[in-house]
Amino acid sequence: MIIDVHGHWGPWFFSTDVADAAVNLRVMDDCGIDVQLVSAVEAVVYDPLTGNPALLPALEAHPRLRGLLVVDPRELDLAASQLEELLPTGLFAGAKIHTHYAGSPGGSPAMADALALLAEHDLPALVHTWGDEIVALADVVAQVDGARVVAAHLGGPAWPLTPAAAERTDRLWFEPCWSTPAPGRIRWVLDRIGPERLMFGSDATLIHPAVTLGAIRAAGLSSAEEELIMWRNAAEVFGL
Amino acid sequence: MITDADLLIGRDIATGARLPGAELAAALGPLGIGGGLVTSLRSLLFDAPSGNDEARAVAAEQGWHAAAGVDLRDPLTALAEVARAASLGVRAVRLAPDRQGVPATAPGLAAVARAAVDADLLLLVEGDVRVVGPALAGLGASAVFVDAHFYHLGDFVLLARDEPGFHASTRLLGDIDGWEVLAAEVGAERLVFGSRPGWFEAAAVVDRLAAGGLTPAQHDLVVGGNLRRLLGVPA
Repeated sequence: MIIDVHGHWGPWFFSTDVADAAVNLRVMDDCGIDVQLVSAVEAVVYDPLTGNPALLPALEAHPRLRGLLVVDPRELDLAASQLEELLPTGLFAGAKIHTHYAGSPGGSPAMADALALLAEHDLPALVHTWGDEIVALADVVAQVDGARVVAAHLGGPAWPLTPAAAERTDRLWFEPCWSTPAPGRIRWVLDRIGPERLMFGSDATLIHPAVTLGAIRAAGLSSAEEELIMWRNAAEVFGL
Repeated sequence: MITDADLLIGRDIATGARLPGAELAAALGPLGIGGGLVTSLRSLLFDAPSGNDEARAVAAEQGWHAAAGVDLRDPLTALAEVARAASLGVRAVRLAPDRQGVPATAPGLAAVARAAVDADLLLLVEGDVRVVGPALAGLGASAVFVDAHFYHLGDFVLLARDEPGFHASTRLLGDIDGWEVLAAEVGAERLVFGSRPGWFEAAAVVDRLAAGGLTPAQHDLVVGGNLRRLLGVPA
């Protein structure tokens, strides 16, 4: 069983032909992924107003895809409205916040407000992290009652800060996808935060899941670690 | 076994990591990599002649090929080192302008590249392909861009259409269909396996290869055939 907590649906602005949900499913099959949480690319990089609803037909047609509703912390009225409208569909398992595209760093007051809104709905969030904002995000999560967050990318090149972030709160989990993975990174992190805090994510259809699966393979997981990281932690956090 | 165009030994002052040739050799087997083209970081970061001697010694010991590193901060010595490499039978030169803080517009980069082309040497080129690629266009160079990222795949394809000697390494083409797009647009002859083991999570590239949509013939080109052609060595 593999649950991928970091997926996307829709076209990218790069030279890649992945717009159709059939691509998600084909690559999931190739990589043994059973369920993928997806956010709409349009909602991440352009506009949640149109991007989040555009995802609905793909979710309805493909039950192995579960939605991440994109929240822009600068437009929480829109987010609140879409949460009221779209959560009752039962098609969304969580939220997605991109700190860079949405101009809302992990430690910002806007992030705290967004996580408070999601906590009201008991909805976990996958939050893009890059650089030392991963620690600032951890402090925000610790301050917001009920917030549950998965920090995507382990902060990218700031991945050695992951243990410091993990110490701030036990309501923060971590996801390791990265297109330029440093050697030995996942085992190093795992040995410091424990397998209960890490879960698999791929960033497909931007990155091929084989990239992060290869990095995880290099970490030499025990069977107990594999169960937690590849599906159980995600199933518990996102209620799958 | 895979042949890897992007092997590095030595110490990286930026990270403090150190990888001797013997340790790199020990790491390749479990990855299914049989060898490849090795450069010494000493040649790129401190002293090209002694670093290149180190790389040639490791290559001879391990049955690999050496690529000569040059330091573009001293283009005069770099030009001499290209000539020395050619005289010693080395088949490739590695350029690392970003690592050395040298802009792609530096006269030394073009001069060293031109000297390498005149000596019929393959170029291994670090850096953003959108920046360093145009700087090397029009020279008739055979080049492998070892930092070509899938974010910039479209630009690489445009460059490669005009430059028949331009090739991309696999290392950072980790998206869903980058390898296949490149093969369709300019041919699998332009894709060379590189994973920089020990400095990059090479298993990610190996697994991307396994998951790829290449035909068996394309696969053989990528994992060795293309690099052998570029180096002029038999299978």
